[in-house]
Amino acid sequence: MLFNSYPFIFLFLPIALSGYFALGRFSNLAPVIWLALASLGFYAVSNWQFVALLLASIAFNYLVGRLLITYRPRSGVRFAVLTAGVAGDLLVLCYFKYAGFLAANLNAMFSTGLSVSVLLPVGISFYTFTQIAFLVDAYRGKVAHYALPPYALFVTYFPHLIAGPILHHKDMIPQFEAAESKSLNPHLILCGLMIFAIGLFKKTGLADGIQPLVLLAFGSEASPSFDQAWIGALAYTFQLYFDFSGYSDMAIGISLMFGIFLPLNFNSPYRASSIIDFWRRWHMTLSQFLRDYLYIPLGGNRHGRLLRYVNLMITMVLGGLWHGAAWTFVAWGALHGAYLCINHAWNRFGPAVAPRFARAADIAAWVLTFLAVVIAWVLFRADSMASALSVLSKMADPTQIIFGRGEMANTMFVMVYAALAWFAPNTQEIMGYDHTKRTVGETLGAWSRRPAFLYASAVVLAFGILGIQQHSEFIYFRF
Amino acid sequence: MSKPAKDLLRFLGASGLVMLLAVALTFVVDPLQIFRPARLFAAMYSQDSRMQDAGLIRSQDFDTVFMGTSLAIHFRQSDIDRVLGVRSLKLSLNGSTSVEQNFVLAAALERHPRRVLWEMDDWIFRNGPDIDSNVYLPADLYRRNARGLASYLFSGSMARESAWILARSIPLIEKPVAWLTTGVLFKFPIARVDDINVLRPGFDVAQAYNAKKAMAAFRHITDPVRSAYLADGADYHMQVGNFERDMADLIAANPDVTFTIYYPSYSILQWVAMRDASPRAFEQVYNFTAYVSRRLTSFPNVRLYDFREAKDVTHDLNNYADVIHHSPAIDLKVLSWLAEGKYLVDRGAPTASLDRLKAQVEAYRVEEP
Repeated sequence: MLFNSYPFIFLFLPIALSGYFALGRFSNLAPVIWLALASLGFYAVSNWQFVALLLASIAFNYLVGRLLITYRPRSGVRFAVLTAGVAGDLLVLCYFKYAGFLAANLNAMFSTGLSVSVLLPVGISFYTFTQIAFLVDAYRGKVAHYALPPYALFVTYFPHLIAGPILHHKDMIPQFEAAESKSLNPHLILCGLMIFAIGLFKKTGLADGIQPLVLLAFGSEASPSFDQAWIGALAYTFQLYFDFSGYSDMAIGISLMFGIFLPLNFNSPYRASSIIDFWRRWHMTLSQFLRDYLYIPLGGNRHGRLLRYVNLMITMVLGGLWHGAAWTFVAWGALHGAYLCINHAWNRFGPAVAPRFARAADIAAWVLTFLAVVIAWVLFRADSMASALSVLSKMADPTQIIFGRGEMANTMFVMVYAALAWFAPNTQEIMGYDHTKRTVGETLGAWSRRPAFLYASAVVLAFGILGIQQHSEFIYFRF
Repeated sequence: MSKPAKDLLRFLGASGLVMLLAVALTFVVDPLQIFRPARLFAAMYSQDSRMQDAGLIRSQDFDTVFMGTSLAIHFRQSDIDRVLGVRSLKLSLNGSTSVEQNFVLAAALERHPRRVLWEMDDWIFRNGPDIDSNVYLPADLYRRNARGLASYLFSGSMARESAWILARSIPLIEKPVAWLTTGVLFKFPIARVDDINVLRPGFDVAQAYNAKKAMAAFRHITDPVRSAYLADGADYHMQVGNFERDMADLIAANPDVTFTIYYPSYSILQWVAMRDASPRAFEQVYNFTAYVSRRLTSFPNVRLYDFREAKDVTHDLNNYADVIHHSPAIDLKVLSWLAEGKYLVDRGAPTASLDRLKAQVEAYRVEEP
């Protein structure tokens, strides 16, 4: 089921909310069970064939986690249990996500005739990572004993199940267990609806709207000129941002209606002044996961500069591969790994900027970062390496410029999107959403004193709902 | 009631009101002219024929409808009217299946035209999605049922287009709005029905249609990597079933309408590609179109033309952008052939033209231009 669909907005969500708060009047556990079941229902609507896999994954990880938490055998045995747990998760993920890719590459190299076609269970990358973090923390002794219902809800919780944000058990399970989230809070529902409205508008009004421009460069029959290739690449840059950050806003807004604060996933990433800064602002929960559960365990920056760069490259290549089983994602991850290495090396060896040039240097850094990100998105979007290289070669060939009326008009539309991404306040700034402090809407003052804001949000919700057209999936559903 | 609860209700109420205002805007401007021909605002049209046709069928006066695929998409209605002496409405759909063509034609036939002009490709009868599973064609809007009208009125993109058309009617900003309406983001850039899906003024025909491009396409489809696709989806019995359902039944159900149907003039390379790379596909098309020709010539209200054998056109590769798509000059030639009755299939020998084509294909030798 999609957040941007009438059945979700007008049927599923009201029923889930009503049941949750109705049961919350009688029990602290029943709403948790209700929400976990509703989440399974949400998943089953379009992925019924993978519900058993999801349940098996929950049961497996819960049992392994319980072994690690409850029993304290010798460290060697504990490590073996952890290894078995993580390996089990990764094996399932690899089978569903990478078996076809592996077979295709083996076939290309050795003409094996091997062909594997496996349907990818939606959300498997997200719920696998979420649970690996749980197992690792259980091994590290950082996890208290959790009952099964809140754990199951932590994994299946529908606002995040399909495409994140990647949740952390320490952040979420205490919220699921808390009694105060079970009582109806109109303030949180209103704020949640407003955040949902912003996200919905980002998706249906902005991301879906710019799709035709993306096809100018990436369409199956596209043969773009220099300007068309740049318009297409820039359009995709903004489409992806508004699509994925819109999804994340909707997830945060929906969760807020249930009284649960989800972590932020975006913080105006295209305002970043360096690639390091970009990764602190883009898909923040994935960055945190990769840092805490891959980069640091690999050694991080603790074993010298050279190994730090190696660790960065490994982390980013695997991060790229996490997005999809294709060489384009590997190349995208490797390119960002290289960007990060250069960025760290520049910080270490680059010249200091004189104070009077600081402003100009900041602007140059911002422009350079943005261009580097746009170029990398071409790899991310293209269907194949050949297609990516074709678009990149067009972007590097200014001898073919059309820039007719169509291109000029399209450039103006792209500039509107750019202005929104660069200069407009982001959702958490607008709404005063603070995940750590568990506060929202306080910076806006009383709604009665800010009716214009209330009504402006209502317009955004209305246009977000009216923008729901045909089946339009979120880009990150395929990862 | 607490203050936040009141604010919540105000918020939801305001959202509902805005949605109703958007619905009212779409209803008044009516960009597809579903409810009435454009009066308050200048009529604007979209290149998206699957959507646009739903409105054209309602808003235009016509006695002849023209249906087909991309082979029939660039025709000008004014040319059809002038050459054939009719008042036509072009409903051609790029890449359409027989299911789509049948559905749109059936909707148009409710307006009782006298004649249907139908460009017929053999491959439209391969299996396509059911009309109600087709996300590109708003079937309920053609049916004008509550669901279709609601999806039209409650559509944000239609409200956006309505606002855009409204803005275009304000003299002060008319020019910049028109300049920004390229058809990519705002879908209604065309002011005259006659200009829908025709090649833009100044279009370089010689660059788009030439022997070099036709040969490049020929080499592409005959590449051993791809040539297997030539026969993809071409199951004889399935195609016959689809033909009976989507074409023969419609003709039989409308005995008062004259159906002028023609096989378009693909380049000879289309057939030669099959001959060389996929003889099974060629045999398949031969058998299927032989059946179609026999069947269509059995209807008294059908006049069938076979332009596939028009050697002076099909052997001149400069007429083509690939192996099938011909230039606008051939559009006009097709109309003149129809007016003259040239290449009319003889009811007594419905497969004679097909046999002449087969002989041409067997004799043809590919030469690099």
